[in-house]
Amino acid sequence: MNRALIAILAAIVLLPFLVRPAIASEIWIFAIFGLGLNLLLGYTGLLSFGQSTFFGSAAYVAGWLMKIHGLNALLALIVGAGVGALSAAVVGYLCVQRSGLYFIMLTFALNQLFYFVAYQWTSVTGGEDGMPGIPRPAFLGIDFGNPVAYYVFVSVLFLVALLVMRRIVESPLGKILQAIRENEVRAEAVGYDTARFKLAAFVIGGAFSGLAGVLYAMLFGIVPLEAIGFVTSGNVVFATLIGGSGSLYGPVIGSFVFIWLSESVSTLWARWPLLLGVAFVIVVLFFRGGVVEAWARFSAWRERKWRSSRQTG
Amino acid sequence: MLYALMGLGLSLITGVLNIPNFAHGALFAIGAYLLASVANLIGNFWLALVVAPLGAALLGLAIEYLGIRRLYAAGHDYQLLFTFGLALILSEAIILVWGPVGYSHLPPPVLRGGVDLGFTFYPKYRLFVMAAAGLLVLATWLFLEKTRYGAIMRAGIENKEMVSLLGIDIHRVFTGAFALGAYLAGIAGALTAPIRGLSPGMGVDMLGIAFVVVALGGLGNLLGAIAAGLLIGVTQAIVAAHWTEASSVVIYAVMAAVLLVRPQGLFGIR
Amino acid sequence: MAILETDRLTKSFGALAAVSGVSLAIEAGTLHSVIGPNGAGKTTLFNLLTGSLRPSSGRIVLDGRDITGTPAHRVPHLGLARSFQRTNVFPAFSLLDNVWVAAFARAPSRRGLAWRRADRYPEVKERALAALADVGLAGQAERPVREISHGEQRQLELAIALAAAPRVLLLDEPAAGLSPEETKKLVALVRTLKGRYTIVLIEHKMDIIMSVSDRISVMHFGSLIAEGTPAEIQKNSEVRRAYLGGVAA
Repeated sequence: MNRALIAILAAIVLLPFLVRPAIASEIWIFAIFGLGLNLLLGYTGLLSFGQSTFFGSAAYVAGWLMKIHGLNALLALIVGAGVGALSAAVVGYLCVQRSGLYFIMLTFALNQLFYFVAYQWTSVTGGEDGMPGIPRPAFLGIDFGNPVAYYVFVSVLFLVALLVMRRIVESPLGKILQAIRENEVRAEAVGYDTARFKLAAFVIGGAFSGLAGVLYAMLFGIVPLEAIGFVTSGNVVFATLIGGSGSLYGPVIGSFVFIWLSESVSTLWARWPLLLGVAFVIVVLFFRGGVVEAWARFSAWRERKWRSSRQTG
Repeated sequence: MLYALMGLGLSLITGVLNIPNFAHGALFAIGAYLLASVANLIGNFWLALVVAPLGAALLGLAIEYLGIRRLYAAGHDYQLLFTFGLALILSEAIILVWGPVGYSHLPPPVLRGGVDLGFTFYPKYRLFVMAAAGLLVLATWLFLEKTRYGAIMRAGIENKEMVSLLGIDIHRVFTGAFALGAYLAGIAGALTAPIRGLSPGMGVDMLGIAFVVVALGGLGNLLGAIAAGLLIGVTQAIVAAHWTEASSVVIYAVMAAVLLVRPQGLFGIR
Repeated sequence: MAILETDRLTKSFGALAAVSGVSLAIEAGTLHSVIGPNGAGKTTLFNLLTGSLRPSSGRIVLDGRDITGTPAHRVPHLGLARSFQRTNVFPAFSLLDNVWVAAFARAPSRRGLAWRRADRYPEVKERALAALADVGLAGQAERPVREISHGEQRQLELAIALAAAPRVLLLDEPAAGLSPEETKKLVALVRTLKGRYTIVLIEHKMDIIMSVSDRISVMHFGSLIAEGTPAEIQKNSEVRRAYLGGVAA
């Protein structure tokens, strides 16, 4: 068990003592969302700017099923992951045929498509008002109305998701996706149908996003329209980049930073997205590589200073 | 027509600079709000129509010079985040300065009212916008096709290294292209203000449409962007007349359908 | 029996015929070189053979099977592997991973693709290490690509092709950018590969071509202008004319 995992376990245990359980849950949920995105962004090199499509769709579908048909929690999660995967398959199929800027713009535009459908279909989604009244059905007899109980549920699911993602990135699939990122032409030349693999990355990422979406709906009891909007898509990209897209744990760190920032600032100022935009700009101009790389650079600098002081001292 | 303007501007920017400009919609919105403010301030619509897009262009200039310049080598994800962050900053700034409630702005007195076209009454202002936008597209097209600067920009779309090897400062070309694109977005916004009114979210909707136009027309394919813009505009108008709610969705559905059949867009080369 | 044949293979880009009516027959186990001035269409020919480009007309036959139009990602599975003229590796990987990815593509079973740990495929790792050993890089398996020299990168380039366990190797200017020392090592390497694989070689350095080839085909402006043994080609006046005396025959 490596150090990062231990640190995460410690964080899981300590977090509810530092912040409200609801916020703590939100952090792990967003981390799951980020893990899904990073398979595409960090490992395959695909900047998908429409992840909220899968997050939101899953939230709407599972939320509706739970609300109207009384679906239980476990099935809701499975449905959510499934909807996320399915919508990702559709979107991915359209998008993997393009690359670079086209790809990014396509993911965004398709995101908008889903957004407008959700916006207009008020009878089902509630349009601008969102879909309220999402229950938290009991699971194995445990009542999740208690925020701490729900937090335990969420953090366990997060751990599962993290371990699954770790397995995936350490598997041959993980290597193949990285090979595609490094040199798609060569990856194809050595015998991989790169379009299919990119689609697979999409579907897996979509499943993770969908799972996160359902947990989010259950957490807040509502599916807001923004859950399927481009701002959410942008937020998860930001969180992943700020944590560092080059590592498995980057999105987790990024989720911490992002959720903590947004939760603390949003209560202070209604115009907080402006600060968010400023944060984006600052990170991009000065902190590329994210927290993980900044930490690595800091450690390297510390190494050098320590070594040089040993030489002179 | 307006879509053609937006598409042309965005196509130019993405083609020359090869960056995803998520702030394009915000520039559109700024153009609209500037028009409203300037017109209300000095009481002259026409002057405001000249000034407002220049404001947008200046903003574009500043953005390129201060920010985007540093990011050419950084990769699309950071460029995206940067322009996205800018879009957020600008739309929130609009709310700060002008308030969160949308409002409307009347067209100048000479352009109010309708024109009897025989089969229907058509608002004078809309005719004006069509004509003005058409003229602008034509003017931009002529600039890009016939003048030396335009040719340099187009060459920049094709082959940036070649242009700098020819001794031309490629960064000036980039700045110019971005400013021109911003100008086009700004004037599109300014023209739209009396038609659709102003609201802080107007930028985002336009952004999505601009992306669709560019995706259909082919990145950097300027003629394609114009054609696609016209196509989308007409399609949306037709749909809006029969099934209002679906008019936004239809645009994206059309894009998805076209890309399924022709991944390179309608006019793309690949 | 010819293991690889082309029948009037043609590729036109609009009015330009990059490859025009090329008919080749490569005998199994031999080293067959393709030479010609720059722009003769040699790399385009390779691109056609490996499926990166679709021919405008003509056929490609491998081991008696018509493989024309096979997409690029299926070609290695037919037994055809290629190295590139400009080093085309996976920059962030170690040398071993570079070759591992190529070897895994050809693994008989991809079971556990998404959930088995990548280091639990001993046969794949073995083949990858063997490929590295073949080119003399086994000792550096764990090093990242960034740290090795240009010459070693060209060796890695070759190893990636070898890892696919092909029957036919297409080598596109493997000696590009190598110093005379490195070139000698490369020639020795190619000699060890002769006989184990059928090799089609594109090269500009005539001393290499003349010393290792069994047969030589000469291309000019997209067509084949001559074919024969090294001795025959050296005496061929048309070939001399095509090179305009720029190369000592």
